[in-house]
Amino acid sequence: MLARKLVLVGGLSLLAAACGGGEGGGTDDGVEVVPIGYVGPLSGGAAYYGRNVLRGLEMAASEIAESGGFMINGRPHRFELVTADDRYLPYETATAARRILQQEQMSVILVPHAGGIRAVQEMNLNEPRFLLMAYSSEPSILEAENPLQIMLPPRFDGYQRPFVDVLMPRFGNRLGLLGTTTAYGRAWTEHVTAEWTSRGGTVGRDNGVDYNTTTDFTGAVSRALADDPDVLFIGGPSQPTALVIRAAREQGFQGGFLIMDQAKFMEMLQIVSMDALEGAVGVYPQEYYPTAGTPGWVARYYERFGEDAPPATSEVAINYQGLHLVAKAMEIAGTTTDPDAIRSSFGEAARTIDDDLRIFDMTGVTDGGHLARAVYAAHVLDGEFVAVPIPVLGPAPSQ
Amino acid sequence: MTLFLQQLVNGVALGSVYALVALGLTLVYGVLKVPNFAHGALYMLAAYVVYVMLEDVGAPYALAILASVLTIAVVGALMELVVFRHLHGKTPVHMMIAALGVLFFMEGTADVVWGPDFRPVPTPLDGVVTAFGINITEQRVLVILAAVASMVGLYLLLKRTLMGMSIEALAQDREGALLVGIDTRRVAVLTFAISGVLAAIAGSLIAPLVLVFPLMGAVVILKAFVIVILGGMGSVPGAIVGGYLLALAETMAGTYVAFAFSELIAFALLVMVLVFRPTGLFRKGV
Repeated sequence: MLARKLVLVGGLSLLAAACGGGEGGGTDDGVEVVPIGYVGPLSGGAAYYGRNVLRGLEMAASEIAESGGFMINGRPHRFELVTADDRYLPYETATAARRILQQEQMSVILVPHAGGIRAVQEMNLNEPRFLLMAYSSEPSILEAENPLQIMLPPRFDGYQRPFVDVLMPRFGNRLGLLGTTTAYGRAWTEHVTAEWTSRGGTVGRDNGVDYNTTTDFTGAVSRALADDPDVLFIGGPSQPTALVIRAAREQGFQGGFLIMDQAKFMEMLQIVSMDALEGAVGVYPQEYYPTAGTPGWVARYYERFGEDAPPATSEVAINYQGLHLVAKAMEIAGTTTDPDAIRSSFGEAARTIDDDLRIFDMTGVTDGGHLARAVYAAHVLDGEFVAVPIPVLGPAPSQ
Repeated sequence: MTLFLQQLVNGVALGSVYALVALGLTLVYGVLKVPNFAHGALYMLAAYVVYVMLEDVGAPYALAILASVLTIAVVGALMELVVFRHLHGKTPVHMMIAALGVLFFMEGTADVVWGPDFRPVPTPLDGVVTAFGINITEQRVLVILAAVASMVGLYLLLKRTLMGMSIEALAQDREGALLVGIDTRRVAVLTFAISGVLAAIAGSLIAPLVLVFPLMGAVVILKAFVIVILGGMGSVPGAIVGGYLLALAETMAGTYVAFAFSELIAFALLVMVLVFRPTGLFRKGV
């Protein structure tokens, strides 16, 4: 609830100097401070998710500060994160965003859920204008055609066709439905159902349950398995998803799992073994993402947060990438305060960002503000992750 | 038919946990008239104790359960001594707000100590028993057996020991109990400690089957309140029957109607009981 100000310390010297104040957001050792907003869950059921997102932003901001900042008109700048907790409630998001905008002038705010993004789309074009960094794979957020929006993750409606391509030939054409019942889970269920039936497969009754409030999944799993499916559609947060997999294997299910993009393999592997995941298809584990920048990024992640840190998932990676892109776009635009100029420079930033800061193979930004890049999913085959390329939907990048 | 039997077994396992949580809740309400929402936090804390014992200390599961039961009994007793003792004679609204406060305080504490992450607890009994085409994991067999043993134990404690009889006396008539020389303050602490033991058994048994996280108690405590109202506020047999009834209703509604619907069952039942039989299935009587 409380808007919290999180000062990122890039070293004790910065902290000591930060008290000095100065023009704009304040300076220290001549490094100007640029506030960046985060409005998302920090408490309640989605706190874990929110803190993953924030960890990615913190990592990027700290790296920028430690490297001396990014240059605008010959002067170094660094980021300071200003966070506000909306408890994952869309009606809180706009209020919280307004509150931090009153505290401080800022040109960029990141929101990590579709409901909150829609709420903020109503306000970011009025004064004070700001660039909305949208972390949600829900393609409908593009329908608003908000000119001050950047959608960071791949859209989820690209996954179903390649997932079915892999699983239907391997296991058979009967699909059981056991996804989570959030709005996002239902949208996934509809897309999977449509794709599966369009290929001549049969789909069993929807046995979806709310993954966040269900104490025991055995009942729902028993019911889904009673239809004798070849493949089960499952998914919600990673850890409950792993419990569903465990329950299904305990009850003798031998088939494949079509896993919604919300669940991450590395987090599921903390609960179930690779054996249990045999025949699963889901988003590619970020730690092994098949791009040149990934290994270096993973090493830096564990160096910074320790070996016991939560897995370096795409939630961390995509937001990390996003904030480095903001710095690059500001550099190209030559401004930290003009959101329109920053937005116009984003495509160039995506193409020209330094190789060691480039986790994804990005090609630019579409007219609608979607960050275009190569996307991979993973198929667990004989105990190994095999890359499955995901075709890019929507228009080609124009900037 | 196999599906029906499978779901019957699944429902009984879930019902065992529901009943254990509801028992502690109904006991405290029946004896002390405290609607103890913080009971859900005791259940959550018990699961964390098991987590710490298994993951950080490396203790065997039996020792982890014992540590959890002792810890939570003490926490339960402290709850009475520090908070509810001082509210005696106040309105039920005071009690309820205090209980909610304790619940949020303990959830917040768990969040600070362990973070908001879902924590998996290693499963000590990971075998699966198969009979007549029905699967049940060994851990669930343990849940059912231990729940029944705890219920029998509670019954013997209440009916066969002096301590139990003094608890019953307090439930029936506080002034009367005082007049015959029962130390009501001591009994109040004891009642909270026993309810803590019941929450701890439930939390310790279910921890390896679910994920441990700060809000896990909030989900279960709402169900437990439904059960207690369904069974009759303060009734011990009501909590047991209500627990199994609710779990079976949820599982069967999920199986034969839709699982998305099963979450509504608890609250639909609650409304029906309040309208048609406000005293619950069983009249009060600890």
